[in-house]
Amino acid sequence: MADFYQTGIITTLHRLGKPSLERIESELKEFSKRRPVALVLPALYSEFEGKAMPRIIEELAKVKFVHKIVLVLARASEKEFMKVKELMSAIPYEVKVIHNDGRRIKEIYDTLTRNGLEPGEDGKGRSAWLAYGYVIADGECDVIALHDCDILTYSREMLARLCYPVVNPNLDYVFCKGFYSRVTDRMHGRVTRLLISPLVRSLKDLAASHPFTVFLDSFRYPLAGEFCMITDMARVNRIPWDWGLEVGALAEVYRNYSPRRICQVDIAETYEHKHQSLSADDPEKGLMRMTVDICKSIFRTLASEGVIFSDGFFKTLQVAYLRMAEDTIMKYEADAAINGLTFDRHEEAKAVEAFTRGITMAAQTFMENPMGTPLIPNWNRVTSAIPGILDMLKKAVDEDNK
Amino acid sequence: MEGFLNLILEPINEVYLKFKGFFPNLLAMLTIIIIGVIVAWLVKAVLLKFFKAIKFDSWCDRMGFTALLRKADVWAKPADIFVVAVYWFMIIGFLMVGFGALNIQAIDSLVSEFFLYLPRAFSAVVILLIGYMVAGFLSRAVLIAAVNSGLHYAKLLAEAVRLLLTVLILAMALEQLQVAPSIVVAAFSIIFGGIVIALAISFGVAGIDPARRMIESGGEEKKEEKGDVEHV
Repeated sequence: MADFYQTGIITTLHRLGKPSLERIESELKEFSKRRPVALVLPALYSEFEGKAMPRIIEELAKVKFVHKIVLVLARASEKEFMKVKELMSAIPYEVKVIHNDGRRIKEIYDTLTRNGLEPGEDGKGRSAWLAYGYVIADGECDVIALHDCDILTYSREMLARLCYPVVNPNLDYVFCKGFYSRVTDRMHGRVTRLLISPLVRSLKDLAASHPFTVFLDSFRYPLAGEFCMITDMARVNRIPWDWGLEVGALAEVYRNYSPRRICQVDIAETYEHKHQSLSADDPEKGLMRMTVDICKSIFRTLASEGVIFSDGFFKTLQVAYLRMAEDTIMKYEADAAINGLTFDRHEEAKAVEAFTRGITMAAQTFMENPMGTPLIPNWNRVTSAIPGILDMLKKAVDEDNK
Repeated sequence: MEGFLNLILEPINEVYLKFKGFFPNLLAMLTIIIIGVIVAWLVKAVLLKFFKAIKFDSWCDRMGFTALLRKADVWAKPADIFVVAVYWFMIIGFLMVGFGALNIQAIDSLVSEFFLYLPRAFSAVVILLIGYMVAGFLSRAVLIAAVNSGLHYAKLLAEAVRLLLTVLILAMALEQLQVAPSIVVAAFSIIFGGIVIALAISFGVAGIDPARRMIESGGEEKKEEKGDVEHV
């Protein structure tokens, strides 16, 4: 059982005692009559061939409070798209599959590009953004929940706990992020443990506890891919299409909403999904690419908040981060020891070294071009440029699903 | 025997002479069609470049024409559709001119009818385009006005205005195309008249009570005015 300590400036909803799934689901069923929920699933076809997706489909078939599932299928041929539609038909409520590589959706992307609205490269960010567009166009759901499709330990309780704070009108949160411990016989989640937390705390020290660093530090698992939000948020939030997706999305939430209406919820006792390789020597791959994108996103957000970055600042940051990360390794070593977990201190130190190089690379890129990679424009911006785009998107998806 | 041979050769000779007279016309027709295809292809290429330069597709996106095409499940780029339409229009035009070169009376009358019909077709297209823009503008204006007035059925009202205008525009376009004009006018009169009568009845019936209240409150106000106390 977790403790009940509240950290940071957002609300933390813990897993206390043995919460009944039936109770939460029955309450959600009632609440969702007034606040219908759309579940967005960004998926690759390859995930349907793995172990995770069949289990997810099986669990989702038992869910009673979701009004509609919007699955964005990427890297799939026409034949594979048809197969996925068939697989998803096991779910007894409405499911829309968006064929990301289909000719209609490609034409939607072309329409955006020729009007100067860059939808970015293929990835989770763009898929999620497209699904939000469909939910907005559809106009039936007030709440959007999203989770990845590679969760090996998926249960419908995750979804219920994720949605509860936003769907329950008495709590009335606008954004809820999931958190969980990623522990098997060892601790996973290196980027969160050894990059984000030490980096954000170092930045907090150097940038005089800037509110954004305090906000970011309040999240127990800022890189968690599971969250729930009100549909209006999808209209105003811009989305990064690179690996800075999670941090960038939090930056948009910070920018547009009060921290009082934001919470995080413990959604699972165990969470297991695919692991990324470190790729310490290749900044274009694996966790190194993720490191660079995440750091750039944080630097850019802080710069937009008025924090002045210079070469001196970055040199100090590197040293401060390294010290903080080394201290963090010692803490986790102790944590692993008391819990009898495997802990490879050398591997952890190597990861920190790689992350330090990643921060240097990100700093260099940021100094060369502070504007960085543009975010995908929010849907309000898109509809003001192309008034009929949502109708087009709805038509494309509906035709593909006939 | 010679007579018999003449009987055979004369028709053949006649056909040959006819063909000899007709052949230049056939050649002219083929030449016109080939030139037409080349010209149409060149115009197509030039138009495509021109539309790209003036960002025709973006303009269509902003004006809502692209959305209209998508509603009909047409997913090609607006410029491509327009250029292909022009291309086939030119091909048909050159085919007609080519057939005209054959100097066959029946085809001549068909060709002249085709060219006489062109202004009508053009007018119908212009009516549809302008009508679509006007309908969109007015529907949007009604929506904004109704939302600002706090009407909860604002969207319904805006859509009703769009529907009415669309019916009107379609009737105008069909009338211009002379597609069963009497039926179009009659159908339009019945539909439009029906809608107006339905609205009149619904407003009339729904307005009985408010109208009564207005009349009654007007009378009371007058009474109150009489009974007003003047203070010094």
